[in-house]
Amino acid sequence: MKNFIKILLVGTMFLTITSCEDFIGGDVNADPNNPPDIPIVGSFPAFEVALVDVYGGAFSRFNSMLVQQVEGVARQWSSFNQYTGLTPNRFDAAWNNVYENVLNEMKIARGKAQAQNFFHYEGVIDILEAFTLMAAADVWDDMPYSEALQGFTNASPAYDSQESIYSTVLQLLDAGIAKMNGESGLVTPGSEEVFYRGNATSWVKAANAIKARALLHTGDYMGAMAAAQSAFESAADNLQFQYPDLNAAGQWYRFNRDRTGDLEFHPTMRDMMTANNDLDRLAMLDQTFNTSHPYLVADFLQELITYREVQFIIAECAFRNGNADAAHEAYLKGIEASFARIGAGGYADYVGQASIDPGAAGLTLERIMMEKYIAMYLQPENYSDYRRTNVPNLAPVSGANVPVRWDYPSTEYLFNSNAPEDGSVNVFNDRVWWNR
Amino acid sequence: MKKVLLLFVMFFVCVGVSMAQKTVTGTILDSEGFPVIGANVLIKGSTVGTISDVDGSFSLNVPEGSNTLVVSYTGFGTQEIDVSGTNNVSITLAEGVTLSEAVVTALGIERSEKALGYAVQEVAAEDITRSGATNPVDALVGKASGIQVTRSSGSVGGGSRILVRGVTSMVGDNQPLIVIDGVRTNNDTQLSQASTAGTAASNRLMDLNPEDIESINVLKGAAATALYGTAGATGVILITTKKGKSGGDAFNVNLTTSYSFDNITQMANLQDEYAQGWGGAYLDPSTGLSTSWGPRIGDLEYATDPSHPNAPGASAFDADGNYIYDNNGFLVPAGTGNGTPANIYNNVEPFFQTGNQFNTSLAIEGGGETASFRLSLSNLDATGVIPNEEYDRKTVKLASTIKPTDALSIGASVNYTKSDYVRVQQGSNTSGLLLGMLRTPVSFDNANGFDPSVAFNETSTYQFDDFSQRNYRGGGGYDNPYWTVNNALGNETVDRTFGNLRTDYAFSQWANLGLNLGFDLTTDRRQQDFEINSRTAPGGRILINEFATRVFDNNLTLSGSGLLNDNFNLSYVVGANAFSYNVEEQDTDGDGLLFPGHLDINNATNITHFNDITRYRTLGFFGQVEAGINNMLYLTLSARQDYDSRLGNPNDFKLGDTGFFYPSASAAFVFSEMMDNTGPLSFGKVRLSWAQVGAGPPQPYSIVNAFVPPSIGDGWGDNISFPVSGVGGFDQSSLLGNDALTPELSTTIEAGVDLRFFNDKIGLDATVYRTNTKDAILNASLPSSTGFQNIWLNSGEMTSKGVEITLNLVPVSTSNFQWNSQINFTKSENIVNKLAPGIERLFLAGFSSAGTYLVEGNQYGAIFGGAYLREDAGTENDTDLNIPGGAVVINDDPASSEYGFQAVDPTQRAIGNPNPDFILGWNNSFTFGKLSANFLLDWREGGDLWNGTAWALSFFGRSQLTADTREEAPTPIEGVLSDGTPNDIPVTRDQSYWTSSLGGFGAVGEQFVQDGGWIRLREVGLNYRLSGNSWTKGGSIGISGRNLWFTTEYDGIDPETSLTGTGNGQGFDYFNMPSSKSVIVKLSLNF
Repeated sequence: MKNFIKILLVGTMFLTITSCEDFIGGDVNADPNNPPDIPIVGSFPAFEVALVDVYGGAFSRFNSMLVQQVEGVARQWSSFNQYTGLTPNRFDAAWNNVYENVLNEMKIARGKAQAQNFFHYEGVIDILEAFTLMAAADVWDDMPYSEALQGFTNASPAYDSQESIYSTVLQLLDAGIAKMNGESGLVTPGSEEVFYRGNATSWVKAANAIKARALLHTGDYMGAMAAAQSAFESAADNLQFQYPDLNAAGQWYRFNRDRTGDLEFHPTMRDMMTANNDLDRLAMLDQTFNTSHPYLVADFLQELITYREVQFIIAECAFRNGNADAAHEAYLKGIEASFARIGAGGYADYVGQASIDPGAAGLTLERIMMEKYIAMYLQPENYSDYRRTNVPNLAPVSGANVPVRWDYPSTEYLFNSNAPEDGSVNVFNDRVWWNR
Repeated sequence: MKKVLLLFVMFFVCVGVSMAQKTVTGTILDSEGFPVIGANVLIKGSTVGTISDVDGSFSLNVPEGSNTLVVSYTGFGTQEIDVSGTNNVSITLAEGVTLSEAVVTALGIERSEKALGYAVQEVAAEDITRSGATNPVDALVGKASGIQVTRSSGSVGGGSRILVRGVTSMVGDNQPLIVIDGVRTNNDTQLSQASTAGTAASNRLMDLNPEDIESINVLKGAAATALYGTAGATGVILITTKKGKSGGDAFNVNLTTSYSFDNITQMANLQDEYAQGWGGAYLDPSTGLSTSWGPRIGDLEYATDPSHPNAPGASAFDADGNYIYDNNGFLVPAGTGNGTPANIYNNVEPFFQTGNQFNTSLAIEGGGETASFRLSLSNLDATGVIPNEEYDRKTVKLASTIKPTDALSIGASVNYTKSDYVRVQQGSNTSGLLLGMLRTPVSFDNANGFDPSVAFNETSTYQFDDFSQRNYRGGGGYDNPYWTVNNALGNETVDRTFGNLRTDYAFSQWANLGLNLGFDLTTDRRQQDFEINSRTAPGGRILINEFATRVFDNNLTLSGSGLLNDNFNLSYVVGANAFSYNVEEQDTDGDGLLFPGHLDINNATNITHFNDITRYRTLGFFGQVEAGINNMLYLTLSARQDYDSRLGNPNDFKLGDTGFFYPSASAAFVFSEMMDNTGPLSFGKVRLSWAQVGAGPPQPYSIVNAFVPPSIGDGWGDNISFPVSGVGGFDQSSLLGNDALTPELSTTIEAGVDLRFFNDKIGLDATVYRTNTKDAILNASLPSSTGFQNIWLNSGEMTSKGVEITLNLVPVSTSNFQWNSQINFTKSENIVNKLAPGIERLFLAGFSSAGTYLVEGNQYGAIFGGAYLREDAGTENDTDLNIPGGAVVINDDPASSEYGFQAVDPTQRAIGNPNPDFILGWNNSFTFGKLSANFLLDWREGGDLWNGTAWALSFFGRSQLTADTREEAPTPIEGVLSDGTPNDIPVTRDQSYWTSSLGGFGAVGEQFVQDGGWIRLREVGLNYRLSGNSWTKGGSIGISGRNLWFTTEYDGIDPETSLTGTGNGQGFDYFNMPSSKSVIVKLSLNF
């Protein structure tokens, strides 16, 4: 009996002696799996792969569909193909990825790089941020930047004009080039920097390629030419990421695996390539979109910006600046690089056709842009080229016009009081700033 | 079978040790001397008994040492009869001496029912076991007012969701707290995959054998649950398990065994006229085409010659030139083939089988003056209506109590349950059973010519010799259902031990010290296989999830009660509670199997592993005092101070941040006590209560931002998980932490009456309540341009109100026939008043075309999605997110591909309300001598479901709707043109319509929102009570049915379904598993 009271008292003590503070406090409410802070090496791969994945994902799919390189034929994608299904919520994932998984993580990493004087880390961030902002502004025009990424401190960030985004892009690129040309700081990027493992020379070339793309959009053909000439010297210099295997497969492979039959090769492109007698590349690309597609493989090489794009930028700028020979040379290099990328033979036969290579004197802007369109198959940049040059001259799938921009995501309309009014954006008429 | 044998051996052993007994006979008469037929006669302290027969007489074997019989009959007072020294008694029952009944309230405190100032409703063991349900939650349907139960599907082992008084929390778990023998118990549903996909998941209360339940009390409102603190805010289901009764030397054995036959109920409405194809042309499986927009089946016949001009491509033939997708050959236009008309294959109903549940329970109990025990064993062996689906449950429960002295009582209870499941993929995933099944065109035979009864065992139905998949899309698309039930199964094993050690010591009437230490340990190991060439993971995948859940709940109480003087009694309780919850989830994801045929993690070529620990603790101090005056007026006051670790800042911990205080008060006034002549009224009470309840965040770690392993993707394909190529990474969580969180607070006012008439032959218990919740903690949406998608914010406001009515009737009570009837009516409404600043809606679950959201001004969990454009959209009359007024606007742009169809509103709207208008359960039992019958009608009025199955099937041209409309004469759709004039553009709703924005996978969800209400015969049963004889003490034999009949306007499967299982986002049907109906035969014997 006495023992029993003892047991009772011990039990009582269990509840009362243990102090409330020890029971409730300490690390109980600290997440054991997910740390409150991470070093810069933890952020880098996350935002770099996220950028590759959104660029090769939503940007590639929507833009390639709008320029009729792929056709939405089933389920949701058939309504997207008709433009009617492209409601704001369809752009939520892309916007989330850009802001939350790329720009926000870059901002966190930038803070760390600055605090520790890791100049090369910061230089890479400058260049990649410029790339990301341009890709987003090219489809969304005005977007939050100067007030963005402040969490609840500014829950409704105001929109900056695309013009000001572009000036930021150019500033970031120049700053990035300067940093990569300068002192590296105590720690330099390594394997966590998945593009060039911190190689400064490669990054300077990439920055120039991105700069060439930006200046091309704004119509500064002299500037674009100059930047392009300081950019990639071969496809080995490309800003690109090799998806490893089935377990982290490329965006198109993953899409074709889960959404087999939703998107297929577009008849517009098929007709164009057939007319050009471009059968070798067509044989590789024009296959049923499934996991056996010979080009859209699991270990896909996802390119952000390439040597062949740079060559076509040079070709276009040289042509516009009146240097036909330089234009012609770059034009052929661009086509050749495309054959190499796709792994198709028959380059010589292809350019052996007078319709394809009319010589320097016969070269037209339309020809350059047509070849760029094919060479850049599934690159989001095609949509900017199409809007700038109207090459190829596409027939709208429905209605009178091909959309000239993306709608904003529903999350902005719903949750950002500084976003434009829902329904105020006319995707068929409201051209982006550089396209007005 | 071995185990069943073992059970039988055990009971014969037990019979062998049965003790000496005597036979007591007697007669039961009413006050006028008429025999009372069907009165219950029980040996006190046991479950052994009999009932009186037509002349009121009974005979009962009473073990030596048992000297008291308890005689009861509805409408009469219960009597205890001393039979020591006699073998024959004559008993006269007096009418209407009732309501001294004690009810179990919070913390297991027994209180007089008439003293309660709030609603508590008891469900008796008999009502639970009679239901035939193996999940205690399912057994509660219709048995009490204020509760709503939704079974997720007819999958064996699938869980059910229960709500008490609707929802209380905006984003937290809204299911009530489950307390078993005073200990908070885990009723979690752990999900391994997305809530809209994966397999069915159990709710863990399924681990309790319903035969072990003594009674269930539903504590509905905040005043009733105040002593449980935060955790009780969603209501409390208080379960008391059977324990051996002390006070006699009785030694009893009960063996109960039942066998059920289960079959599916209604199915989606499919067409059987049109073949696979597009634009009216037939396309064969090798093309990979998904749709059934082909020609009429009657216009097709078979051909076998590969050189036929309509023959499919070479990939459709094997090396010998035989067509591989159909033994009859490929399909060609009638008149060009071999003359054998195309078959219409039914791939749906024949696929399912008759499921069985074989359930055996054995209980042994006994006790003496100072000690008692009860040991129970049970075995449930269930096979599903879906081939290969299984659920096995074994339970062992031992409860014992010792009373070394009059003052001291020590009770221990331990329950061990082992559950094994084989589960089948469902819902929105390419391996989902019904997803592949219902989309299959009628021109394709998933069973490959085999009889359905054997097809699921025939590998060649779903797999070719090269291990590639045989399905209607040439190996792409969706899994053949036979593949799903063979090559994409989930296995799950749950080991669970829970119980408590309760010690009570009575120092005096005014001081009882009680300590209840409770534990609940669960290990749940799952392995989901995807064989190579499964559509979900073509490379093959093994997913292993292990959940280790540890719950500890310890209560210390000091209580007392007594009379202060003749008119005034007082009782009190003060106490402390410490609660700890910890779930550790280990996920192992093995991707890319090396070779087919070996479904094991060791065969995976890439293995990733994740760990996720969820933990929190709470500490509460509470007190309650009740005063009773003149047996007429009762006042109760309670208060509780809680500390919740989820409010603690790990970087800067202050105890004060985690604490919150809340009070409650209730009053009961038994007005019939002060009336001299109550007339027909035998009892009358009014009650009133007010209570506040606080709550912390619904999840731990909400205070700080965390960096999480990135999962990268955009919803159109699988996400990529880190590490990638050996490089690891973290990114900041999209959910922003908030160190300024404070507890949310709900205030409830409740009023009720309890009226009984004609000696309790009519009883009416009605309650109205209203709860205002403010500062609700929710994951408010942020525009992701802030860098985050959500933030934990104290910002929500919600009002819940409702009416609950329980009507008890004894319509007939004659000497040989009795009819008892109970109606439980529940109506509740939860309006979201406010979310966060600038935020009009908050996602709960679902899809982009239709999801459930919290929407300001709407009922909780409104279905939100795409709508037709209405005339008033965008005008001044369009003030909120509801569908605006005015006629539907028709697209009259001739260049549009949707010319003549309904225009689409660019704004998504609240298109449905999944909450029922009311729920009514009508429970009846009839007793005629030894024969009894019962039925339970379950009426659920309203409550929308989004029929995503019909939505998707319209795209595929598989639904009957698309067969009816595709050849209709062109007619204008009802609506107006852009100039406001009536629509005059004739259209046919054919393929172009159903594959546009208006059909499946289009932007509009509105047209597939349907009324999910029903009236159903939930239970019906017939039971015969067996008399005792030389080798048994009696028993019963019965046959019953569950869910045998229902009627609904819903055009699909049984609307009692929930894609997201027990989660908050209800109201979706997207290729959900069908429900089942059961016929159960049951035998129960006492020894």
